[in-house]
Amino acid sequence: MTSTPRPRRLAAMIAAGTCAALLAACTGGTSVGENPSGANSGETVDGTGPVEGSVRLAYWGSGPRIERTQAVADLFLEEHPEVTVEHENADFAPYWERLNVQASSGNMPCLTQTQGRQLNDYTTRGALLPLQPMIDSGAIDVSDIPEDVLDTGRGLDGELYMIPYGAAYDAVVINETLAEEAGVGLPEEGYTWEEFGDYLREAQEGLPEDVKAANLGGGLPNYFIAYVQGTGQDLFDGNQIGFDEQVLVDYWNFWEELRADGVTTTPQQSSEEPDQTEQRYVAQGRVMVDNLPGNALTPAQTTLDGLAPGQQLTSVAAPWGEAGQGNALFTSGFSIPANCDNAATAAAFIDFWINNDVAGQAFASDNGAATNSRHLDQQLEDPELPDEKQHELGLYQEIVEREPVSIVYPPGYQANFEDTFTRHWDSVAFGEASVEEAAHAFYEEVNAALAAESTE
Amino acid sequence: MTATATSTDRAARDHSAGRSRPPRQIFGRRVVRNRLLVGLVRHATLIAVLTIVLYPLLWMVGASLRPGNEAFGTLNFLTSNPTLENYREGWNFGQLNFSRFFLNSLAVTTLCVIGNVVACSMAAYSFARLNFPFKRIMFALMLGTMLLPYHVTMVPQYVLFNELAWINTILPLTVPKFLATDAFFIFLMVQFIRTLPRDLDDAALLDGCGHVGIFFRVVIPLSLPALGTTALFTFINTWNDFLGPLLYLNRPELWTVTLGLNGFLDATGESAFGPLFAMATLSLAPVVGFFLVAQKLLVEGIATTGLK
Repeated sequence: MTSTPRPRRLAAMIAAGTCAALLAACTGGTSVGENPSGANSGETVDGTGPVEGSVRLAYWGSGPRIERTQAVADLFLEEHPEVTVEHENADFAPYWERLNVQASSGNMPCLTQTQGRQLNDYTTRGALLPLQPMIDSGAIDVSDIPEDVLDTGRGLDGELYMIPYGAAYDAVVINETLAEEAGVGLPEEGYTWEEFGDYLREAQEGLPEDVKAANLGGGLPNYFIAYVQGTGQDLFDGNQIGFDEQVLVDYWNFWEELRADGVTTTPQQSSEEPDQTEQRYVAQGRVMVDNLPGNALTPAQTTLDGLAPGQQLTSVAAPWGEAGQGNALFTSGFSIPANCDNAATAAAFIDFWINNDVAGQAFASDNGAATNSRHLDQQLEDPELPDEKQHELGLYQEIVEREPVSIVYPPGYQANFEDTFTRHWDSVAFGEASVEEAAHAFYEEVNAALAAESTE
Repeated sequence: MTATATSTDRAARDHSAGRSRPPRQIFGRRVVRNRLLVGLVRHATLIAVLTIVLYPLLWMVGASLRPGNEAFGTLNFLTSNPTLENYREGWNFGQLNFSRFFLNSLAVTTLCVIGNVVACSMAAYSFARLNFPFKRIMFALMLGTMLLPYHVTMVPQYVLFNELAWINTILPLTVPKFLATDAFFIFLMVQFIRTLPRDLDDAALLDGCGHVGIFFRVVIPLSLPALGTTALFTFINTWNDFLGPLLYLNRPELWTVTLGLNGFLDATGESAFGPLFAMATLSLAPVVGFFLVAQKLLVEGIATTGLK
């Protein structure tokens, strides 16, 4: 085998390299992020137009949630046979990982399910379409959704980016059976945090040895949000924290005092507790009171039935503060991304989901109470509704009647706030820092992180 | 007593003869002659350690045989009311059968294994045996790609595959394997091929083989341990891969086993833990099977690569 002389081979390779580089520069091709819907060019998309073609529907959940979503989608397809709907689903955490990658490459599905807490990660990057034009043009009818609830879908600039269809709230779940055995019953409506503390101390005296009155709640962000709501201060002011440091100090002192009195689980126990509802201590009968999402009542009760048959769980609203109720609403809904090429069909789907009565029955408030008050009334009147669901929806109605303040979460909330909160609480609970030091450190860290997010 | 006396005599004799002797043993030299006892103790110790290490797996199998709402009730893996309901429920995953996910996983994994073995061995041969301009630079670049975390290339790759309209197919997961993108396995095989003597290459050259002939007739048959290692690790990594299928396989018909298992979890609602554990137990079977088959090759492959 003779090999070609080195200089000739080298020259050939260099020539090939430059040709490739030139070709790559010359070819146009579609650049990523081009918006076929024309939103970039300044036209407002108002959702009117022919309802046809295919849309991708992305949502989180498994098992029952998937079945119900497919049931609603099938009902929509019956009305619009020329449309196809492609489902994309995953569990909650992987859903956001995938959505982030899709958003970076301008490939978000036309019907993207979002939540208030993550919404502004996408709105500040211009990834979502404002939905007010679609409401104004009549493509989406939101007249049955209460104003406060609809406001949870607004971004930092006040524009509506998400139509909420399900409203969840965090409740205080109490093991009624244990509470009666301890002789305290349930707290009365309008109970304050101070009364809550006294209630727990009284209950602890009547409870068996190995059961604690409350799970240590200092590290639960949603419990804290209820506390802030009760004081009347804002959780966020633009993209910085809106409440005083003293609020956080008071909250953490509240839990430290309870812990010192032996009323709560130890920090070791609470940090070992897994996040899954079925593994929480209150679902296993090891604590009497804890803070859980409102719709976790059903799986918690199912688990408790298996481990301690006969014990009954119930949920009550979070404690009241001086300014009013503590409960905030955590809504989920649909957004339409700016890269969607079939906004008319997407708008029609959202309108169907919110307003069609049969669809409302099929979904049956699986992702939080239906925001459409007419649907909510219909479901509450249904005699076949399971007891826990009945209670969950009834409690939601009460919360809405008290006009909860809607929270606008800045971008970076999900990545920064909750983990930092738990971490600084742990440093307090394990005695590594004083409450004031940890609160101050938390403040600095979160404000710095949120400020960095918005300048990107 | 006699033993000590003999040993000191021996020590003195050895010392005068200029021989070095082994250091004196502390526990004496009496060997336990009863082989049955030795065998029993050894096995008992191994089984005890194995039980401790594998207890999570045992617990999972036990949980899969318990009714769903008792899954987390106990650390014990035995149960008073065993049931096979979880396996039945998990297999009929909604509208799709879990067998569909197993088939998808198997298809993706087989293609990846073939791709990696073929492409990485050829790339390794060229680095180990051929000389070409910029070889050192390219070798360094190839090793450099191992330093890149996956998340750095994740978004650009997604953008690329989106432009090619390969989303919702298995192409983004399998085609890169045919292009020798796994630097780790190339490196593994380069080290292995370097240990093969060049005399065999020369002998084949004399017999009229070109590079292709040397590759297929000399290098590949001798590199079976390294190829086995590559195949095994590729199989395990691809079978367990979650993020790749999550990004590229959106339709439930295309899901692999990992996505299927994730489909049992619902952080915002009611998870189905019983069926989850049942299907997780089943999904372990191919990996364990493959490992048992490739075990011998694996040990040889790891032991002989990179040590020269």
